[in-house]
Amino acid sequence: MEFSNETLGILGFVSLLVLVVIGVRIYIAAAIVGLVGLIAMIGWDAGAGIVGTIPHSKSASYTLSVLPMFILIGYLAFHAGITDAVFDAARKWFGWLPGGLAVASVFATAGFAAVSGASTATAAVFSRVAIPEMLKSGYHPKLAAGVVAAGGTLATLIPPSAILVIYAIIVEESVGQLLLAGFIPGIVSALVYAGIIITWSIIDPTIGRPIRGYTWGERVKSVPGTFPVIAVIVIIFSAVYYGWATPTEAGALGAFVVFVLALAKGMKWDNLKDALLETAKLTVMIFTLIWGVLIFVRFLGFTGVPAEFTEWITSLDYPPVVIMIFILLGYAVLGMFMDAIGMMLLTLPVVYPAVIALGYDPIWFGIVVVKMAEVCLVTPPIGLNCFVVNAVRPDIPLTQVFRGVGPFVVADFITVGLFLAFPWIITWLPQQVLG
Amino acid sequence: MAHALGNRPTRQSAREGFIGWLDYFVWQIERAFTLLSSLFIFGLMMIGVIQVFGRKLFDAPIFGYIDMVELAMTTFAFLAISYTERLGGHVRMELLVGKLKGRVQWAAEFASVIVALFVVAILIYYGWTHTVRAYEFGDSTIDAEYPMWPSKLVVPIAFSLLWIRLLVMAYGYARLFADPARTPIGVPVVENVAEQAKAEAAEALGADAREGGR
Repeated sequence: MEFSNETLGILGFVSLLVLVVIGVRIYIAAAIVGLVGLIAMIGWDAGAGIVGTIPHSKSASYTLSVLPMFILIGYLAFHAGITDAVFDAARKWFGWLPGGLAVASVFATAGFAAVSGASTATAAVFSRVAIPEMLKSGYHPKLAAGVVAAGGTLATLIPPSAILVIYAIIVEESVGQLLLAGFIPGIVSALVYAGIIITWSIIDPTIGRPIRGYTWGERVKSVPGTFPVIAVIVIIFSAVYYGWATPTEAGALGAFVVFVLALAKGMKWDNLKDALLETAKLTVMIFTLIWGVLIFVRFLGFTGVPAEFTEWITSLDYPPVVIMIFILLGYAVLGMFMDAIGMMLLTLPVVYPAVIALGYDPIWFGIVVVKMAEVCLVTPPIGLNCFVVNAVRPDIPLTQVFRGVGPFVVADFITVGLFLAFPWIITWLPQQVLG
Repeated sequence: MAHALGNRPTRQSAREGFIGWLDYFVWQIERAFTLLSSLFIFGLMMIGVIQVFGRKLFDAPIFGYIDMVELAMTTFAFLAISYTERLGGHVRMELLVGKLKGRVQWAAEFASVIVALFVVAILIYYGWTHTVRAYEFGDSTIDAEYPMWPSKLVVPIAFSLLWIRLLVMAYGYARLFADPARTPIGVPVVENVAEQAKAEAAEALGADAREGGR
């Protein structure tokens, strides 16, 4: 039986989908479909030979070495006593606003995001630091829970973010530019969250009242505690912006600063070992996914399906922005059932060339896709962040957590709308480095 | 969905018959591999710091730094792959598999592992020939001309351990398929979203809680 290349490509895509849905690990599903597909197209020796070299050749690339560094910063950050200090400072500076403690939680999670790239971990930690304070001050549990679950999602936009590095690798864009591009959208997201809280608290003042009475002296004194966060931001931002170090070197320096602080806070050998083992585990998971999917991508490239898809998309008789909105809605739906990294890796090889052909900026699209994937961390049915908050605070029922994040999901759609209307929010900063 | 913590082999589970012993035996090697991979990550941090300070302060960058990093990368890109497989840490969609029960569940898991055994076997063979070629042709890195083959050798070694792990898992699933009343041993346990959230929270807070003995 002879198949045309396009048919093989589509068959491959369908098989991959079936394997993923029935629960085969994504790296295995992608590798087997890529392997069988390549063998069918170019024969056993050539096909299997190509596949055999991909794991090594795609992994041993200096650009990817930034991943373990960023992950390590996140795991060490838990031992450096950063969370309490950051929340304390945020409370003293922003507590006077309507819904002040919730606003403070948003800025504290944003600050912590600068040393962590993990949404769920951020949500877990702040469930313990911020929620008790809010409840003590009479804040409604749904606001307290919602803000922490939503605040956790800021971690993936604000560098160091592993997922932005992965996007850069897959679409072959500059890692540095994507990292820079994440800063402003991360801050915009946090500001929109804050805006929503303030509006909500003005409409319904019982939900969370302002916390006043801190002196300027107290405020100033709370700043030094945030030093690790500021140090990591300055190191990574300036290294990428001025180019005095590669992202890997900046990551190494950031990890070292947090490591020294954690030692000063009395981190034990066991803690360090745990942090390193967890880093090794997450690192290998990401690398495995990357080479697995790249085996599939190699096959897909042979079939010409991405080019066909691009041709089809660009021939559609709709304005690009309409197509973009549909693509983003597609991601919102997909994200409800799939992990963000897996979703991006599986779809980008086909979707990305089409988006570029529509005239969208590669960096812009990366930030928007990651933002959409994050929205799905707080929406049913998976909404992992909400489950995490509920796991730490079983006294706040899951339904209340989901109800609490509702306004923040609205905020996220406003944010994505802003990105669509004013793309320069994302592209301005990375372009400064280019120019 | 993402990375479930899974149940870990322990000294206690090692006493649960042959499968328990086998599971724990392979686990010891996996832990050693993962510790080695962790050490390389720690080394990557240290060498990065030395490189930046060396270059900026003393104008003395480490010779062949990028080459060295690229060669070392196979350690943290591959060595922990089997350890992570055992913990059920590789990404997959559990929406359907998580709903299956009893024999159907174990049959599905078993089939999945068989597919993996096939792919990984091919990756071992061609990863090995890739290494042999590098050795015979004397492939070296561009800048510092370090030999490439030791780095490439890590790949088939890590995959071989993964293959053995998959074999143990196949045995574990077959045993459960034969008698679904048995306790799962030697296989990662699927967690639902709530259990997974609990595990993730424990992972973050467990580490946090130990800080300063709070």
